[in-house]
Amino acid sequence: MSRVFKGRAILPRNLEGEALVTHSGFNTLASFYKSMLTEAEVAICHDQGNKELFGKQLTDKIICLPKTIGSTSAGATLDRVAQLGIAPKAMLFSQHIDSLGAAGLVLAEVWVGMRICTIDQLGDDFLEYVKDGHRIVAKEDGTVVVE
Amino acid sequence: MKDPAMKLTQEERDILEGNQGLILQKVMRTLILYGEALSAEKFVDIEGPGHFSIPFALPGVGPRLEMLDELAEAGLKTKYPFTLDPKAPLDFENLFLRREQEQAFDEMFRNQGPYDRRMLQLGLRDEDAYTCTPYLPEVGNIAPKGTILAWSESSCVVYANSVLGARTNRNAAIMDILSNIAGKTPLAGLLTDQGRRATWRVEVDTSQMPNPQLLGAAIGMKVLEDVPYVVGLDRFLDTEINETTRDYLKEMGAACAAIGAVGLYHVEHITPEAIDHGANLLRHGHRNYHIDDEELRSLMDSYPVMWTEKGAKPEKCLIGCPHLSLRELKWWACQIPAALEAHHKDRLAVDTVLCAAPQVLQEFKAEEQGYERLRSAGVKLSGTCPEAYMDNQLCARDAVITNSNKLRAFTTARMFLDEDLLEVIVTGEI
Repeated sequence: MSRVFKGRAILPRNLEGEALVTHSGFNTLASFYKSMLTEAEVAICHDQGNKELFGKQLTDKIICLPKTIGSTSAGATLDRVAQLGIAPKAMLFSQHIDSLGAAGLVLAEVWVGMRICTIDQLGDDFLEYVKDGHRIVAKEDGTVVVE
Repeated sequence: MKDPAMKLTQEERDILEGNQGLILQKVMRTLILYGEALSAEKFVDIEGPGHFSIPFALPGVGPRLEMLDELAEAGLKTKYPFTLDPKAPLDFENLFLRREQEQAFDEMFRNQGPYDRRMLQLGLRDEDAYTCTPYLPEVGNIAPKGTILAWSESSCVVYANSVLGARTNRNAAIMDILSNIAGKTPLAGLLTDQGRRATWRVEVDTSQMPNPQLLGAAIGMKVLEDVPYVVGLDRFLDTEINETTRDYLKEMGAACAAIGAVGLYHVEHITPEAIDHGANLLRHGHRNYHIDDEELRSLMDSYPVMWTEKGAKPEKCLIGCPHLSLRELKWWACQIPAALEAHHKDRLAVDTVLCAAPQVLQEFKAEEQGYERLRSAGVKLSGTCPEAYMDNQLCARDAVITNSNKLRAFTTARMFLDEDLLEVIVTGEI
């Protein structure tokens, strides 16, 4: 059985991938810090404050989150991650995107030339329903199908 | 790029069409995508100098130098000169470092020279414009009430909004520079009257003036990114924003912003918008939070010791996160010698560094007496950032103590309240 959710497509793409879910805020800098510092080939979440994601692979996943949190210096994180080729495939926000998350994703788009599919306002139901490992289909119009 | 949903002025359209150069076009394209993501309908002009949060180029983590090169080589500059967060911990003579720590910092910050030069090209005010307290009078990045800004650095954003009454969103690093180059920022969030209204009423019901960083942490943890309207602090603070009140709000705000994500708070009868509008700032249906002595005591007791060896003796003390004001430096210059005298000692038992803006340190040193007292007690003064110092595995293993809740939250440093911290740095015992 699959469920369909509708959000606002900020950086639209048609794609499929595997869900990785956090119900607390996603601390972008803390999550990617060590992988960036060591120029790892695959990013692993090193945010000890996030028990759901700690130790899990972030690269090529579809991260399902309420919003991002953390330092304003996090803005420089996602474009670096994109440049290193260790970015997630998509970031799907249940809430309205926050300014730090928006900045990083837009910088990756314009200054690195890499689009990380971004959809926001998918609603609390989305985050309650989706689980790690679920197959997700994201569409350009902001539709998200969780299979 | 598809037709923007934001309403653009002719000037903004010209930039977007590339009439003012390809790189500025790229900057505008970035800002439009950013503004649309924030649901802004239009831009507003930035009216004052910026303050930005990334003062160093940590390889792999800091801003990509190639991007800064693109901006600088296109001859782009911010509309107003800007200030930056504190410098990297490269003033080794003030930091009580071991040799391997010096080597690690040299390696980590190997791109610092080119980065500093790029920042000057892009509009950094001067070579000393590095601090997280740019709004202090000695530094002078003080926006008048109502000024539209595009700042980053959470503790500066919350101070500018709350205490100065200026208007800035909590911008991300790099987006801050791009906004200030274009001179435009999306009209959204804390730039709007509606976005500045409070959704929490926080009642401070303590028996005495609470420690500001403990109070700020309690508020931040509760309200997260919302706007709190704080009542009850005028029992302890002067309602005019004098140096004592200013420093209290600086410390409280830094903790609110770091431990939550507060970008603006109002304090009844004290902060400018609370004076103008009072409780009308509270939105209908706001939530309530009551803070008493027990609430703060249990919060303090909940902080775990993150040291590798829990029972270690403290090796180093870092004070000044955020940077100390001149008044605070003078306070420590009185308290430390008095505490030493009470213990019949001449020098501190724990290596202690006080951090402040270069301009503040310069003024403090010029007043000789306090500076000499600290020097003879063994205290060092630095313009660096305690958080940047701690943010590596070598230093994170040290048993560091602090009075900063922000530093505690972001690193392995152990927090003590000021009076307790004094006792520890004098005796070396916990």
